Amino acid sequence: MTKVIIDANQSIFKLNLRELFSYKDLFYTLAYRDFKIKYAQTFLGIVWAFIQPALTLMVFGLLFSRGLNIGTGEVPYLLYAGCGLATWTYFAAVMGQAGNSIIAAQNIVQKIYFPRLIIPLSKALVGLIDFAIALGLVFILALFYKFKLSPNVVFLPFFILLTIVSSLGVGIWLSALSIRYRDFQQVIPFLVRFGMFFTPVAYPPDIIIKKIPQWGAIIYYLNPVAGLIEGVRWCVLGTSPPVFLSYISFAMIFLLFVSSLFYFKKVEKVIADIV
Amino acid sequence: MSEIAIDVQNLSKKYLIGNTASGSLRESITNLFSKNKWSATEEFWALKDLTFDVKTGEAIGIIGKNGAGKSTLLKLLSRITEPTTGRIEINGRISSLLEVGTGFHPELTGRENIYLNGTILGMTRQEINSKFDEIVDFSGVEKFLDTPVKRYSSGMKVRLAFAVAAHLEPEILIIDEVLAVGDAEFQKKCLGKMEDVAGHGRTIFFVSHNMGAINTLCHRGILLQNGKMVYSGETDEVISRYLEQNYSGSHEGSVNFEPNFDHKITMIKASVSAESKAGNDKIQAGENVEICVEYKVKQDLVGSNLSVSLFKEGILILRNWDTDKFPEYLEKRKGGTYTAKFVIPSSFLTLGQYSVSLATGIINQGPIEVKSDCLSFEIENHYDDLSKTSNNKGKGGLVNLPITWEIRNS
Repeated sequence: MTKVIIDANQSIFKLNLRELFSYKDLFYTLAYRDFKIKYAQTFLGIVWAFIQPALTLMVFGLLFSRGLNIGTGEVPYLLYAGCGLATWTYFAAVMGQAGNSIIAAQNIVQKIYFPRLIIPLSKALVGLIDFAIALGLVFILALFYKFKLSPNVVFLPFFILLTIVSSLGVGIWLSALSIRYRDFQQVIPFLVRFGMFFTPVAYPPDIIIKKIPQWGAIIYYLNPVAGLIEGVRWCVLGTSPPVFLSYISFAMIFLLFVSSLFYFKKVEKVIADIV
Repeated sequence: MSEIAIDVQNLSKKYLIGNTASGSLRESITNLFSKNKWSATEEFWALKDLTFDVKTGEAIGIIGKNGAGKSTLLKLLSRITEPTTGRIEINGRISSLLEVGTGFHPELTGRENIYLNGTILGMTRQEINSKFDEIVDFSGVEKFLDTPVKRYSSGMKVRLAFAVAAHLEPEILIIDEVLAVGDAEFQKKCLGKMEDVAGHGRTIFFVSHNMGAINTLCHRGILLQNGKMVYSGETDEVISRYLEQNYSGSHEGSVNFEPNFDHKITMIKASVSAESKAGNDKIQAGENVEICVEYKVKQDLVGSNLSVSLFKEGILILRNWDTDKFPEYLEKRKGGTYTAKFVIPSSFLTLGQYSVSLATGIINQGPIEVKSDCLSFEIENHYDDLSKTSNNKGKGGLVNLPITWEIRNS
């Protein structure tokens, strides 16, 4: 028989991960719901996950490679930008959905208890399909260019995991903050749009880093996705391994994720009262 | 199995009234710099120092006026919100019928919604699989299982949702006035299911304004007032204390309304008394009860009526229209002031507290004025010769009729 103790003096350092795990079926069901709703009643269905990155890459190629003449060394530009785009798109989508998730689920949250963290966490799963398709597109393009993929690709799962963790870290922070301060609902779309310019998605980071002072570069790499994208490129395309500055990004991922869990825990107590 | 299902100790819940708690970023920042941190807020204790326990298998009713803290208590028990101080220990899976259909998504099919709703309620997929056929059977929507729920009728949706909730099989069930929604058949089904659950040694936590339902379902009651527990004990006693609490103050043997002379019919005053003695709301058993209503009719009316409803412990015992006796008033009621007298025949009522509601209205147009529970009176017994067993307090039954008995010794 289950035994539950609700104590007002409970320590906020207890994350109660075992309870979270017992709700894993809810996690999958919520993810399935999101998947179904996303593609329900669309004529092309999952094909959209292919069309969107393909068209965006075409525009990038036209704009940055042909138009602005941005060089990416021996790697064809479309492959270079493709890796960045796939990672950023996943990050932005999960961050946005997770960030809005608690407010979107307020009618459930006010009526029934389950570990609230399940809601933003479940957003990470559906995006993986799009992520995989976008990366698949890069592999197809590599075949087309007769580009030999790097053997580093065995490390790709590790970087995908890091991408998941980083997007959840930011997403959970935003979801908890937007409960307290609705202003953060306005911040999310802004971050998605603005963030892409400050992330080396469509260009190599060098073209900025070389032109700004050291402290500027450090700020640039506080963006967790900056180092991530370099990592993904190193895995898939065999570009130079992540620079030292990238480790700032990796540290940020860890910091954001762990702190988000505790901040969420703190806000979780009052969700039903203020949502 | 543990003896105590729910153990509540010194439970309190504080809310901040005002808008700071859910305020904007700007407010938080200005608060940071101002000394008077909670200038715009006020503390409100929705619950204060509640201590009680519920034994396994017990059905307990929570009674109280609006704002007494009933819903807050249920929210704390079902863990939707956390207490400010105190501690709750719950032994067993807890589920509340207040969330029937929570999380249903219109785009998903009935089948998918069973899984979605079930997992939200805390079931695992495996559990749902094993009960799936039962749930579908109970809901009666098997033909439409693979149709999106948005194409369901509202009745089908409720049935499906209730079927899922009913098969959760919790050890502790929380019910918060679900009976107020849904049609009569659905209410009956809910009540039936609850009795079913109660009969299987499960613990029930019931909140309702329906005293009749509380009385039949619950063994024990807790009376809340302004966030505090005023009384806990036998259901009968709790209900009568609640009713006393309700009728103290302006509700007495007589009441002066604030008439609104713009209404087609407006009630001016009303009183209840024993037929012989005016102005006394304590009535000796066996005496006729007389209810007088004074009302003013603005202009000649067609189809107007006045109704008197008599309640005991929240249960409607009788309702009567003046036009039943005087159909001529239905055809035409001239303008002017009237006094209507309504006499309840002698010894029809058992001992206890009663309340009276009055209403005026026009046929096919609905009510004009409704005065709920505006009068109250108590039937007492001071005479030994009338204290026959059937009329004793606590012997049950709503009415006391002169029944013909035949006893033969053959």
